[in-house]
Amino acid sequence: MKLAVRVSMILALVALAAISAALLFSVPADAQGPVLADPECLGCHADSNLIKTLPSGELLSLYVDAALVAESVHGKKNIACAQCHSTITRFPHPEFVVADRRDVTLKLYGQCRQCHAENYSKSLDSAHTRALAGGDRNAAVCTDCHTAHTVTPPDQPRARIPQTCAQCHSTIFDDYAKSVHGADVLNGANPDVPTCIDCHGVHNIGDPTTAAFRLKSPEICAGCHTDPKRMAKYKISTNVLNTYVADFHGTTVQLFEKQSPDTPTNKPVCYDCHGVHNIRKPNDPNATVFKENLLKTCQQCHPDATDQTFTAAWMSHFDASPAKYPLVYYVNLFYTILIPLVIGGMALFVALDIYRRVRRLTPNADKPKTNRE
Amino acid sequence: MANEQFYERFPRAQRLEHWLLVFSFTVLAVTGLPQKFAGDAWAETLIAGMGGIEMVRVIHHLAAIVLLLESVYHGVVVAYKMFVVRVRWTMFPQLQDAADALNAVLYNLGVRKNAPEFDRYSFAEKAEYWALVWGTVIMAFTGFMLWNPIITSRFLPGDAIPAAKAAHGAEAILAALAIVIWHFYHVHLKTLNRAMFTGKLSAPEMRAEHPAELARIQAGASEPIPAPALIAQRRRGFIPIATVVSILLLLGVFLFITAETTAVTTVPKPSAKVQVFAPRTLTPTRVPTRAATALPGQTPIAQPTQKPSIGPAPIPASHAGRAVCQVCHVTGVGTAPKNPADHAGRLDASCTDCHKPK
Repeated sequence: MKLAVRVSMILALVALAAISAALLFSVPADAQGPVLADPECLGCHADSNLIKTLPSGELLSLYVDAALVAESVHGKKNIACAQCHSTITRFPHPEFVVADRRDVTLKLYGQCRQCHAENYSKSLDSAHTRALAGGDRNAAVCTDCHTAHTVTPPDQPRARIPQTCAQCHSTIFDDYAKSVHGADVLNGANPDVPTCIDCHGVHNIGDPTTAAFRLKSPEICAGCHTDPKRMAKYKISTNVLNTYVADFHGTTVQLFEKQSPDTPTNKPVCYDCHGVHNIRKPNDPNATVFKENLLKTCQQCHPDATDQTFTAAWMSHFDASPAKYPLVYYVNLFYTILIPLVIGGMALFVALDIYRRVRRLTPNADKPKTNRE
Repeated sequence: MANEQFYERFPRAQRLEHWLLVFSFTVLAVTGLPQKFAGDAWAETLIAGMGGIEMVRVIHHLAAIVLLLESVYHGVVVAYKMFVVRVRWTMFPQLQDAADALNAVLYNLGVRKNAPEFDRYSFAEKAEYWALVWGTVIMAFTGFMLWNPIITSRFLPGDAIPAAKAAHGAEAILAALAIVIWHFYHVHLKTLNRAMFTGKLSAPEMRAEHPAELARIQAGASEPIPAPALIAQRRRGFIPIATVVSILLLLGVFLFITAETTAVTTVPKPSAKVQVFAPRTLTPTRVPTRAATALPGQTPIAQPTQKPSIGPAPIPASHAGRAVCQVCHVTGVGTAPKNPADHAGRLDASCTDCHKPK
């Protein structure tokens, strides 16, 4: 009896474990189970000559390279074709009606949402989705960046990220590739320099042309440029944000950002002077902030400034010292001495005056009384 | 009290000047100091309350204009008093003031028995007046540089502008603290001196604050008023000069305000136009090489007659009525074509989905 009970309990536990394991290791879509097995799909779609002419006149290859799919992140997890192509439930399947090649992508990319709901919903806030909703069929969707069948980790290697964006933003990529950041990513895969997504975000890429983005942008640059660890490697000052905010331009931008984030301001942010994608080292003769180019950069906003001396009105992110901006340094020093001296003197005099009045009010202090007599 | 006598201290015009000063100074401080401390929470609250930083700057500029005009007016009035009426220079600092200051300290310490006796303006009042003059001059010059940086950089090195900003802010702190500590103590705290409101002081107030002046008045040594003819004669010289100087000063104020618009001409800031969508190929979606080579061509594709391997083979007419395909085609009985490897596991029911009768 006892043995029978024990055996049945063990069996029950094993069964429970098996069920849990099945639940744990199953891929989410497995719950429904693919109706079709991959070989059935590949029966036709492994044919590299399977090409369809679309109503637009474009040709659409229906070929799927099973080997590449198997190497993809999905292939490695044995995700079946029909798990993504979930509308295909039987063989043969009804005709997939599309107008043109772009239509194929736009009709299918929504399938990613099944498993990647978080990133999918993030992407709904992106400039791409907004452009798509506004009728721009070229706006990127999931598969434009990730591909459909050959999905591999998009940041391996890191230099792949700008290449992905370059598919549509090639002119910006060309600028970026020549910049201090881009050159280091593309040539050396330097992990310290930003790729596109470090500044623009990944799935919820915002519209970088809004006032809000512009006002917030110094924080993006400051993310790295105030990090002492990262900056020490390149001997770059981490004081760049502080000196910017301390100045007229930065003070204004910071206040706008906090108080009226959607109101445009004509005061510059980092990239107005340093360049957007084409940022170069300040000592690069092609840099917008290179000494000889600085006046031209200032003239973007100050067209009347024609004197090279004007550029020195901006302290180039330096703190005033006897070596750099001595005039400012000595003015500050003068007031550092003058203010305590004057105000201290005044306060001391006032304190003495109060001291006399208080002493006179005190009954025991008979001295002033004698004085009066 | 019947015998209480009042002595005129500030005529209406001077009181009006003082109110202009109170107004402009206060507005300048309230709009200026938060700009200096823009990173602090209290400053941000004030700036937001006043309508944002750009509005704060506009208010600051307007108050500066009031102060500048008041300063020009004051200069003309003082010059008139000095050169036409030729009053006693009661506000002029003298050695006596230094002695008075020292004696006041000694008196406060209890070292000296008697308080120093002040004339029309005590050393404390003179110090404040001249501090105000000094401060206004500094603020006007540095303010001009900040308001008109491009013009400034034509005459001065560029770093004069951040230096002007440093001086403008530091001087503001000095001025505000001086007003709070020195002015407020002497005319509001120590005793509420109403002379700037009513224009006069009572005899006891005069005795306490300006005993020397009271003695002078009581001795009948009031200022001699020049004869009208003499005044008229002096005016003939004064008025043309004063007019020219005033016009020049007012032109200076006008230049101050209008000379430079700095970046205003570029509102909104011209953003660099970049070509955002510039695809590398016309078809960003990937196409297998086989299809890609076919794309530019006319129709090198799927011609079932030429390439029998493309598409499902038709069921020959002789097969009419047959339903069990796999019997022959799994192994390739006789001339029957053997199923391709990828057909493994397919059942009879699905064959006709692709393979149609000829």
